[in-house]
Amino acid sequence: MSRTWLAVLAAVVVLPMAVRHAIATEIWIFAIFGLGLNLLLGYTGLLSFGQSTFFGAAAYVAGYLLKHSAINVFLALAIGIAVGAVSAALVGYLCVQRSGLYFIMLTFALNQMFYFIAYQWTTVTGGEDGMPGIGRPALLAVDFRNPLAYYVFVAALFLLSLWIMKRIVESPLGKILQAIRENDVRAEAVGYDVPRFKLLAFVIGGAFSGLAGVLYAMLFGIVPLEAIGFVFSGNVVFATLIGGSGSLYGPIIGSFVFIWLSESVSVVWERWPLLLGVAFVIVVLFFRGGCVEAWARFWSWRERRRAPAGIAP
Amino acid sequence: MLYALMGLGLSLITGVLNIPNFAHGALFAVGAYFLFSAIHAVGNFWLALVLAPVGVALLGLVIEYAGIRPLYAAGHDYQLLFTFGLSLILGEGIIVVWGPIGFSQLPPSILRGGLDLGFIFYPKYRLFVMVMAGLLVLATWLFLEKTRYGAIMRAGIENKEMVSLLGIDVHRLFTAAFALGAYLAGIAGALTAPIRGLSPSMGVDMLGIAFVVVALGGLGNLLGAIAAGLIIGVAQAVVALYWTEASVAVIFAVMAAILLVRPQGLFGIR
Repeated sequence: MSRTWLAVLAAVVVLPMAVRHAIATEIWIFAIFGLGLNLLLGYTGLLSFGQSTFFGAAAYVAGYLLKHSAINVFLALAIGIAVGAVSAALVGYLCVQRSGLYFIMLTFALNQMFYFIAYQWTTVTGGEDGMPGIGRPALLAVDFRNPLAYYVFVAALFLLSLWIMKRIVESPLGKILQAIRENDVRAEAVGYDVPRFKLLAFVIGGAFSGLAGVLYAMLFGIVPLEAIGFVFSGNVVFATLIGGSGSLYGPIIGSFVFIWLSESVSVVWERWPLLLGVAFVIVVLFFRGGCVEAWARFWSWRERRRAPAGIAP
Repeated sequence: MLYALMGLGLSLITGVLNIPNFAHGALFAVGAYFLFSAIHAVGNFWLALVLAPVGVALLGLVIEYAGIRPLYAAGHDYQLLFTFGLSLILGEGIIVVWGPIGFSQLPPSILRGGLDLGFIFYPKYRLFVMVMAGLLVLATWLFLEKTRYGAIMRAGIENKEMVSLLGIDVHRLFTAAFALGAYLAGIAGALTAPIRGLSPSMGVDMLGIAFVVVALGGLGNLLGAIAAGLIIGVAQAVVALYWTEASVAVIFAVMAAILLVRPQGLFGIR
């Protein structure tokens, strides 16, 4: 058990005391979403601008089933993960064959396709009004309608996701993905089937997004149309980058900052996406590298200041 | 043809500057709203049609100079975040300035009504837009192929280092390419306003289409942009006849289908 894990555990315990349960829950859901993207962005070097496709698709499918047939929580989660993985496989198959800017544009364009399907298919998705009335079925006599119980459930799933993701990035597969990030031509030359590994990363990332999507639907009891929109995809990229995409823990910090930021500005002004846009621009222009890197830089700066001071007297 | 125009502008920006421009749709919307305000300010459609895209081009100039220039050394992720943030700012800015409810804009009086083409009765304004968009695409093509600046711009798409080694100021080239791309987006927006009216979400809807055109046609590939623009325009129109609800989603489905057969796009580069 490292210090980082202790810090994460401490955050899990302290958070519901500090903010409303719903916000605390949302932070961990968003962190799961960010973990999935980070496998692509931070470890494989693939900038996907369409993660909400898998998030939203899973939320709609699982939400629909939760609403119309009495399935239990674990089945809903399993379905969501499967939908996330399958939709990611479909989208990924088209996208991994191109690279660079084309890749980004394709993930975005396919995201738009799913968005417009959800927008027009009003009989199922409710279109612009969203899909309301999603319940949280009880599990083993634990009533998840209690916000704290649901928080504990989500936080436990988050810790499990973090552990799995840690295992993935430290496994041989994780190393291959990082090799692709560093130099995909060389990885190909060494004998790895690069498009297949990219697709695999996509599917895993999609599964995490799907899990987050179902938890999100159950948290708010509704799947809003925005859950599959491109702004949502952009938000998770922002959260991951602001936390620091090079680190496993970056998205967690980013999720804190992002949810806190959007919750606090959205009460100030109805046109809060404008402020969010301003925040994006400021971060990009002045704080590139994210929190994890800024923190590391701060420490090395302190060490450097300390070192000569220690020798001098 | 409008799709081709949008795609062409985006293709120029993405090709020359090598950045994903997610603010392109917002520039399109700003073009439409500039036209709306310009008509109310000067009271003349034609003058407004000249002024609005120039305004968008100037806006593009400022954006490139102040925001994008420091980001060339950064990765695509930060460039994306910047242009995405910009599109949020512009999109919400439109709501703040012009309000959340859309407007409709009548075409100028000479272009109202329809024209009997013998086999079909067609609205005059749509014909005008088709001709205008065609002329603009042609003009852009002539500029890129036949003038010195166009040659520099094409060279910039091919190999930026070489261009700068030859003593050409690449930064000025980038600014010019961004302004030109913004101009094309702005005039496409201005031309669209009397057909579809104005709404704050018009930019985002168009952004996806512009990306499809570029993904299919190839970066900086003029012929590709025109072909892709026509293909999806026709596909959309045909589907809209039979199944109106699916007419937007079909654009992306057509793209997916083409990419399944030809992963490298229509004209196969990279």
